[in-house]
Amino acid sequence: MTLLPLHSVSLNSVHGLFGAVSPIPGVTASFTESASLRDQADASLSLISSPGPDLFLLDLAEKLEDSLAIDRPTSQGTQALARLREQAAEKALSSHWPTNRDEAYRFTDVRFIKELNVIPAPLPQMDVDPFVDISGQNLGEVEALRLVFIDGVISESLSSLDGLPDMSFIGSIQSILEGKVGSAVSQSLELLGMVASGTHDDTFMSLNGIGAPDVGVVFVPEGVHLEKPVHIIYYSSGRQGFQGVDENLSSVSLSSPRLLVVAGKDAQLEIIEEFLGESGSACWTNCVCEISLSQGAQVMHSYVQEQERNSIHIKQTHVSQGGASTYKLVEASVGGRLSRHNLQIMQLGPDTHTEFSTFQLAGKRQLQDLHSRLVLSYPRGVSRQLHKCIVTDSTGHAVFDGNVRVNRYAQQTDAGQLSRSLLLAPRATVNVKPNLQIIADDVKCSHGAAISDLEEEQLFYFRARGIDAETARSALVFSFGAEVLQRLSYESLRKRVEALVKGSLAAEGLIDSSIPVGL
Amino acid sequence: MTKLRLVIKFNITISQFVRASASLVGRPSSAYGLGVLSSSRLFQGLGVVRQAGGVRGRRGKRGVFATLATRPEAAEGTDGAASNVLLEVKGLTAVVADSGKEILRGVDLVIRVGEVHAIMGKNGSGKSTLSKVLVGHPDYEVTGGTAMFKGENLFEKVPEERSHAGLFLSFQSPIEVPGVSNMDFLRMACNARRTALGLPELGPLEFYGFLSPKLAALNMDPSFLDRNVNEGFSGGEKKRNEILQLAVLEADLAILDEIDSGLDVDALRDVASAVNGLRRPGNALLMITHYQRLLDYIKPTYVHIMEAGQIIKTGDTSLASQLEAGGYKAIRDLAG
Repeated sequence: MTLLPLHSVSLNSVHGLFGAVSPIPGVTASFTESASLRDQADASLSLISSPGPDLFLLDLAEKLEDSLAIDRPTSQGTQALARLREQAAEKALSSHWPTNRDEAYRFTDVRFIKELNVIPAPLPQMDVDPFVDISGQNLGEVEALRLVFIDGVISESLSSLDGLPDMSFIGSIQSILEGKVGSAVSQSLELLGMVASGTHDDTFMSLNGIGAPDVGVVFVPEGVHLEKPVHIIYYSSGRQGFQGVDENLSSVSLSSPRLLVVAGKDAQLEIIEEFLGESGSACWTNCVCEISLSQGAQVMHSYVQEQERNSIHIKQTHVSQGGASTYKLVEASVGGRLSRHNLQIMQLGPDTHTEFSTFQLAGKRQLQDLHSRLVLSYPRGVSRQLHKCIVTDSTGHAVFDGNVRVNRYAQQTDAGQLSRSLLLAPRATVNVKPNLQIIADDVKCSHGAAISDLEEEQLFYFRARGIDAETARSALVFSFGAEVLQRLSYESLRKRVEALVKGSLAAEGLIDSSIPVGL
Repeated sequence: MTKLRLVIKFNITISQFVRASASLVGRPSSAYGLGVLSSSRLFQGLGVVRQAGGVRGRRGKRGVFATLATRPEAAEGTDGAASNVLLEVKGLTAVVADSGKEILRGVDLVIRVGEVHAIMGKNGSGKSTLSKVLVGHPDYEVTGGTAMFKGENLFEKVPEERSHAGLFLSFQSPIEVPGVSNMDFLRMACNARRTALGLPELGPLEFYGFLSPKLAALNMDPSFLDRNVNEGFSGGEKKRNEILQLAVLEADLAILDEIDSGLDVDALRDVASAVNGLRRPGNALLMITHYQRLLDYIKPTYVHIMEAGQIIKTGDTSLASQLEAGGYKAIRDLAG
């Protein structure tokens, strides 16, 4: 086993990329409002005017529309879905395929997708798909409500929703019929596409709107505490996709799953999103998840991305938080050749509590990208963000853009952000851009960004206790990610993800898989 | 020599005795080497730490002093009189690796089994540096002198080997290790030592059986084991955790670097009684502290005063009382 030391060249290049921010290892800065940040805020909102319709995008939109058997909308649910498609199509017309001239895609190259033959995943013909095996994806002893998407379509036979309290609803939007469900569920449909509206429009968001064959709805009404967690499995079969000899001849199978989670006043629930793919398949999962929390609601959210290493994973998570609500997210992103997560959290009332912890692992030929944005507009919001990533290979690349915006009336906000990146190979690259935009003048905000090798002091602590340097490194590399993984709420899920991370790190020779840490 | 032995029978205080040794060391240069040799041999036989006091202001000669003194004594290690020496530090000098700033300027110290030593001194006098140098902290570089632990050269060993040999440092401010549970950490440390000693590793259950009584002795809740190493621990919890590690590693020489700092009276009593509970006839303690109150709980055999990278005075607990009463200035005056 060889452990490569941190390469100073790659670090320097990272410094060079960001003149304004300073990702100096170990430096944690705290500061309060400064007027010039306002200018910075406007700069980062730069919208690039489109020179004209993007032909590839239009072609793709058309393919997606054709792939769906669109009947005349009959039920309330299908009407909402039709509305969503309409709005998305409109937006897609005025958007363009992102390039590195767009700030949001400056370091994340998505142009290669244009070279691929993108085929919308065909709708599953039978409800039971004999090739799909998700038996390993459970929460151990913990009983969960299960909602399964196969290529973006909800599979009723694989889902299990027994024991759902009255007035709550989990299932496909298409089964929402007038009279059959409570009026509260019907009302919640109006939120579809709205949680994410009025914010940064992302091309991939519109593409999902056009191509979503179904929408999973999780609705928990006022005052209801859902005791069982809702385990949502997104499975991409990769049908129609294949890996060509020449990359340019490859086809990818595109699926567009969509989820809407609505937590009524003081409702409590926990969702676990897990993304999987058929092994050896070439797929592109373009997912949108909207979560709306009313006053006092609490949502715990785990998101685990373990797709195939040659798949493309693009996800938008849009959260709106009513007053005094609590939203906690734990993310682990391990799979995919390109994995992009746009996380946006909007505060819609005072006294909100937001916690998000994210971990990304970028190995050989992997790009892991997190763009997070938290907008605080009301007083006394509290937020804690921890982002960690490990780049294990010279061809690995991680990107983090963490924006926290504290608007004028968000006084007494307490916002903390910490980003730590671990580069374990020469030329491994990470681009970090933590940015705080603070307009209110009575706030407590802190941020820190460090890009480094392992901490010498920690390493020495292990050695002083008799643990040899190599074992100590293994333990510390693994624990670097485990700090986030430990926050996953169910033991069996945590162990499964930890084993996955450990396996990936061991496969690249970075840790000794026999270290007795975690698991 | 005979005369000196006689004096000791009259029960003079150790500080007086040390002063006598200092005058002995400070003989005219013709007798210098001989004088040093005989005095150090004498002190060793009597269980008294040899003083470097007489060498102060003669730094140019220290090299000679160290070489002359080391050889015969190393040979002595095999005979009965010196075999209970656990740690022997001679003329130790060390610098900060980054800046080259000299912190230790010739430290001499001998610790035998069963003894408890305390080093006191102002901030920046080199107390913590001495403890870190002994366990091999990479921030410091040894530039001269020797340190023998159980008759083996400590500086030829990497930090983990020093730990396996039975040397332990309780850190002044132990670092947090998020992502590694205390249980995993303790078991890794325990098994690393067992492997080094040729013993079979302990599985999770066996280890828990080994650990439980130690936890109980420290009055620690088992939930402590599920928490990450030092993460979010209070000052008292961190110190207690260090002592738990000491208990697990069953070290022969434990260096406790300010285990009293940041502790309230109750926590100090708990930690001190845990440390006392770990004392065996075959092990020894070296405490670094600012305050006498720790010494009220753990009675030292010797108290050393450190200043500017050297031990300037050695005595018994009365030295700590003098320090408490008159401050470091009084001690300096005493040391002459």
